[in-house]
Amino acid sequence: MTLQKSFSRRRFLGQSTLAGAGAAASVMSLDILKSEAFSKQLKQKGKRVLLLWLAGGVSQLETFDPKPGRLTGGPFQAIQTAVPGVEISELMPKMAMRLKHTAIIRSLNTKIGDHGGGSRLMHLGRRDEPNLSYPDMGSVMARELGRLDSKVPDYVTFYTATEGRGNAVGHPGFLGSRYAPMFLTTDNKPQNLRRLETISDLDHRERADLRRVLSARFSQGRVSPVLGSHNVAYGRVRGLMSSEALFDITREPKSIQDKYGPTLFAQQTLVARRLIEAGTPFVKVSRAWWDSHGQNFETHLEMVTELDHVMSTLLDDLQERGLLEDTLVITLSEFGRTPTINGSLGRDHFARAWSATLSGCGIRGGTVFGSTDEDGQHVKDGEVGAAELFATIYAAVGIDPHHEYYVGSRPVPLVDVGTEVISEVLA
Amino acid sequence: MRLSQSIILLALGFVPLSMVHGETLIQDVVDSLLDAKMQQVNITAAPVADDYNILRRTTLDLIGRIPTSAEVDRYVTSEDSDKREQMVDQLLQSPAYQKHLAYDLNLLLSPAGNNELQSYLELAVTQRRGWDQMFRAMLLGDYEDELERQAMKFVKLRVKDLDNLTNATSSLFFGVNISCAKCHDHPLVIEWTQAHFYGMKSFFNRLFENGDFVGEREYGALKYQTTDGEQLDAQMMFLSGKAIEEPQWTSPDAEKQKAEKKQLEQLAKDKQPVPVPQYSRRAQLLDIALRGDDRSYFSKSIVNRLWYRTFGYGLVMPLDQMHPSNPASHPKLLDFLAQDMSDHGYDLTRLIRGLVLTQAYARSSRYDGETRPPQMWFAVANVKPLTPQQYAAALLFGARNPSQFVSEDVVKAQAEIDSVHAQARTLAVKFDVPSDEFQVSVDEALLFSNDAALEKDLLANREDRLIGELMILSTDAEVVATASKSIMNRPVTKQEQRVMMKYLKHRKDRREAAVIQLVWALLTSSEVRFNY
Repeated sequence: MTLQKSFSRRRFLGQSTLAGAGAAASVMSLDILKSEAFSKQLKQKGKRVLLLWLAGGVSQLETFDPKPGRLTGGPFQAIQTAVPGVEISELMPKMAMRLKHTAIIRSLNTKIGDHGGGSRLMHLGRRDEPNLSYPDMGSVMARELGRLDSKVPDYVTFYTATEGRGNAVGHPGFLGSRYAPMFLTTDNKPQNLRRLETISDLDHRERADLRRVLSARFSQGRVSPVLGSHNVAYGRVRGLMSSEALFDITREPKSIQDKYGPTLFAQQTLVARRLIEAGTPFVKVSRAWWDSHGQNFETHLEMVTELDHVMSTLLDDLQERGLLEDTLVITLSEFGRTPTINGSLGRDHFARAWSATLSGCGIRGGTVFGSTDEDGQHVKDGEVGAAELFATIYAAVGIDPHHEYYVGSRPVPLVDVGTEVISEVLA
Repeated sequence: MRLSQSIILLALGFVPLSMVHGETLIQDVVDSLLDAKMQQVNITAAPVADDYNILRRTTLDLIGRIPTSAEVDRYVTSEDSDKREQMVDQLLQSPAYQKHLAYDLNLLLSPAGNNELQSYLELAVTQRRGWDQMFRAMLLGDYEDELERQAMKFVKLRVKDLDNLTNATSSLFFGVNISCAKCHDHPLVIEWTQAHFYGMKSFFNRLFENGDFVGEREYGALKYQTTDGEQLDAQMMFLSGKAIEEPQWTSPDAEKQKAEKKQLEQLAKDKQPVPVPQYSRRAQLLDIALRGDDRSYFSKSIVNRLWYRTFGYGLVMPLDQMHPSNPASHPKLLDFLAQDMSDHGYDLTRLIRGLVLTQAYARSSRYDGETRPPQMWFAVANVKPLTPQQYAAALLFGARNPSQFVSEDVVKAQAEIDSVHAQARTLAVKFDVPSDEFQVSVDEALLFSNDAALEKDLLANREDRLIGELMILSTDAEVVATASKSIMNRPVTKQEQRVMMKYLKHRKDRREAAVIQLVWALLTSSEVRFNY
């Protein structure tokens, strides 16, 4: 397979680090400044994405699409938000006050109602195919928004709970391991970022230099992309090690730590904000496990309250730092939950009519797109699927969703052919 | 058969010396056809690689590890004119060859991360079963036969998703990825239509999982919808476009279905296989795929895959796009090798042996000319990333005390080698399986840079490790030479020696640390990460 992408900003900027780039680089650099492609690339510059992955399936009725007073509505009320005419669940009073940054999409019909299949779909934006391994959203963002020689990790994902973790694994697919996530499961710090005590910092650096010299001799006359990737990977080690401090929230002022609060989800979101601020283009923080087949309302009372606090703190923090304009915050699950309340006072898997939110970068805040019927059983208008949602997410951060990668001779568009962006929610 | 080979060779004006004795050698045909093409496109091949390089390359490719220092010495000092052939035959006869081939075949045939087929493949390779026999066993193995029962994992692991089973079979055995034709006629290949996809799927549509086994029904049709919305009945159809008529069948009535269900439940409970029906659609696929002209899909695909495994690039690329609009770089050569395969009972080892004995295989991977020739001409060897198993073995062997593998007692020395080789499996899980467009991940570089367990494993100052041996050497020059030979399987160059000795000299005050760092830099160098 060959993977081509013409006029990529990183290919262009990163030429010097890639063995075998050859003389084409200088020729291209003359033209590229004038090209339309380059100005498009500028739009992507500095854009970042923070995904709050609500694993197990959050209830739309207890969050962004309440149905108070209906049989399906449950015990919680709806409250007025800062946007006239828009109501959300009373479990989200803080977000209600900040809804001017957020667009709600209430009309997702994604059809897949099992955790594994639903998670894959909401990671890839399309269904799996047996003989082509698609990249997930994070890997696409890492490639499109990151820098090849980045000193910060360009795709970080947190998933501490064990339930559902296997469903939410990021996967670079045909984009290759360069865009694989740093996957944090046990700790808030990634593995192998810290130098062992058995070696001094000077020796650690100089043995890497020795390695580089020996490998450079070997690379002479043997130019190939895979060989180049080996040395690029080692070339990033020291830079990434210096990013270790980003994972340490004790370096934040106490006031900020207190604002986020002591929960693991809150702390990981704070790490995510630190990474975003340092230039990491994509971070996913997972909060599990929303799968409330029983006791849905107790579960959501606790977890939505936390989500409301963390999400609103995050939006405030990003805004105060001037980052919200360039950072897209997404809330997403593998599916929603049934309006019908089951015998155990639970709600079951429901992919037919549910919600997601987009806040910040590129988003027309305060909009609500689509609606469900009065019991929330069906989409009433504006039905969209995973493809439309992903196209919209890409468009919000300046990536053309109809851009095509080439896998061999086969063009592979970022989202399935014929997909339209939900322009109503875009700024 | 011999006649057809001779015709090809004569058409090229080429008569190898060996033909005087009546036998055409694969390696001669390959080289003559590659050379002819290079001449045609005016490309000069890279020079032949040195003995060190050839030994390392062949050992890695055939048995999945690097040679020991003693093996290096033995090979390079030998003055036998046919030492390369002897070395190849010795490797091919070792149990490690069978294990390594089975490992690679499993990577190819199993879904990612699964090795349930490996034990079958290892036995099949050991018994030198033909690829056609393996194909039969994997698709329609006899559950009464313990070995074939394991082979049926190929289907079992995919039977829940028949689209996947159809595609995997078509891609892996026939070199044809027809997944694009599932929803619409293939956009690039006019030969492949939806009728082909559903025609291929029809061979499998009666399969189902029953307990630990895969069963097949005697009835059941497959319908599909065209892009125009028309509902059609699929008919069994091979890739060549040949449709297959089948005897009349009827769906059982409700009562019979109930009885069948009960019977299946009982079989599952008793852990018994479902009997194969009298008329099996799967069996039709095996028949047509291995018959007459239709067999060329099967033959060419395995040739192309083994070629890719050997040379790091296929005669047809991508490997699953072997169709008329994507011809081979050397069509005559592919035809010849496919014919040879089918004439010799699909003996994988015969082809592998022929390929590693070519001059093309022995070329250097280094090209100092102005423009590196495109891979498709095989004028210069490719740099291939090691599989997890190969890389783990390269690291473990490189980091051992080389004298450990030397003994008067040949059996004992071999046992030591086998023992270290077996440990590679544990270390291998830390590395990614290379794909066509492989990139080394930064996680791997971080692992080597900062992981305590890996450091303990590879860089311990112990008697049985390289570091232990290096620490008792008296001069830096010896340290550098011994380490380089153990890890890179070759003598050190002057320039390398200068750099490494300078490194050691600057750390006179902390010699042990210096030696450990030197070994680290060698182990993590690109030369060790690749087969070149």
